[in-house]
Amino acid sequence: MSNLEDDISRVMAGHDDQAPNAAALLRSLEQASQPKRRPGWFVPLVVAVVVAAVVAGSAWAGGVLSGHRQEPATVLGGARQIPPLSCPARYADQAPWVPAKPAGADGRSRLVPQTTPSSALVCAYRGNNTDKRQAGWALSGRRSLVGGLARLAGQLSWQPRRLPGHQIACTAVGGPQTNYLIGLGYPGATIWVAATDEPNECVSASNGEFTSYGIIGPDVSRAFASGRWPDRPSASCPGPRQDIGRLGQDTTMVPAGSTSVTICAPKARTLTSGYQALVSALNRLPAHPSTLSCSGTPSPSASYQLVFSYPEGPPVLVTVLSGCHPPIDNLGLQSDSASSILPVIQQLLKPK
Amino acid sequence: MHLDDVLTELVEHSGDRLLRVAYQLTHDPATAQDLVQEALLRVYGSVRRRGLVPEDWYAYLRRAVINEYVRTRRLRSSTEVVTDVVPERPTAGCPEDRTADQAELWAALGALSERQRAVLVLRYYEGLADHEIASLLGCREASVRSLAKRGLAAMRPLVTAVSAGEDRT
Repeated sequence: MSNLEDDISRVMAGHDDQAPNAAALLRSLEQASQPKRRPGWFVPLVVAVVVAAVVAGSAWAGGVLSGHRQEPATVLGGARQIPPLSCPARYADQAPWVPAKPAGADGRSRLVPQTTPSSALVCAYRGNNTDKRQAGWALSGRRSLVGGLARLAGQLSWQPRRLPGHQIACTAVGGPQTNYLIGLGYPGATIWVAATDEPNECVSASNGEFTSYGIIGPDVSRAFASGRWPDRPSASCPGPRQDIGRLGQDTTMVPAGSTSVTICAPKARTLTSGYQALVSALNRLPAHPSTLSCSGTPSPSASYQLVFSYPEGPPVLVTVLSGCHPPIDNLGLQSDSASSILPVIQQLLKPK
Repeated sequence: MHLDDVLTELVEHSGDRLLRVAYQLTHDPATAQDLVQEALLRVYGSVRRRGLVPEDWYAYLRRAVINEYVRTRRLRSSTEVVTDVVPERPTAGCPEDRTADQAELWAALGALSERQRAVLVLRYYEGLADHEIASLLGCREASVRSLAKRGLAAMRPLVTAVSAGEDRT
């Protein structure tokens, strides 16, 4: 089979879950034939419809055939109710892939809305990042989350945007990879989010319209194992498998609303107040889009990681690497001078 | 087992499969459901009148779904403009494009003529051989090959562009 034919098969299979199901068909037939069903007069459902159609002629049949369209629209709070999501049988393409773009909700400004979803279904597709075929992985498990949906909304809605052309250098460690689809249901809206847990933490998350470089795969794995979206870890210096990076950091070095900063020096120090001068100094710096790299040799004695935490959602990490150019980077923005920042940090680290 | 029970069971056990085929043809859930419902009622009425029970209910109903699809599309064709020209090609390798590419492929399938689309669905979704498709559509095998060739030709520029733009980072 050619690539084209293969692609066509994949695209077709990828839309399976959007088809109506037999239960809906039966319900529709049942509703169309309800007046003719009586206790003690058992006629199978389909027969009742057919007999009635034959008797009443084609005009009546036309009404039956469009029966499910004649139902009044199911409206909740002004929004049309959308059927529950179900897991696609296969993950049709290379990650990140979603079976459908957001329906009934804005998917362009955030990965998910800030509203708590009414349901969350996690579909898992296990493979290995060394597999020859990185598309078409079969569904290996599904789970509906029963808790932590507000935390899920808080974390996913603040994931940072990956702008077109934003290149991220990736390691190339081979190993197990799980592609997840998170199907979120809201009154009148649905959103699929693709997230991947893999050794290099380098596959973007996406809803089909908004792509993020945030690292949510490990948290999805924890949620899939427990059935609940995990608690946020307390503020700490960055480590592996940790979700760092926040919406807005591509326009502001430290987006508004932080509640603490952890200065990762040889001895980490967390401040919940008195650090606004640092935020102001960072946000005053002339900045440009980050290339996620610097040249030169950082001086260990004047290099810091600053972790700004928020009431919900991931923290912002600002690295200050004196001796490397540009020295300041938050993954979204870079600034060319640390001279005004270092004294502020050193002041905050002084013993009280 | 009573014939009516057989048909009720068929809806429960083969309905999903028929609806998926119908959705591949129509790209619209409500229209797909209408199509299967219409085909079901036509076939069942015909079977009852003639007293014949098909050996393969699924194949029989699938044929009805395909025929119904071609028939209804033909009825509407005077008001629809069918094009085999893919509207736009993707240009970038951003991960968002992969979804867009899939959506464009799906849209391109939806823009084919009803017979081209039916052939591609039967060939690549149902996995039927060309002679089976010819029998189902009531045409010659050469016509099936021709319809498939023209359908694929309409899709090819899009897929070439997709492959060229894939993000492999």
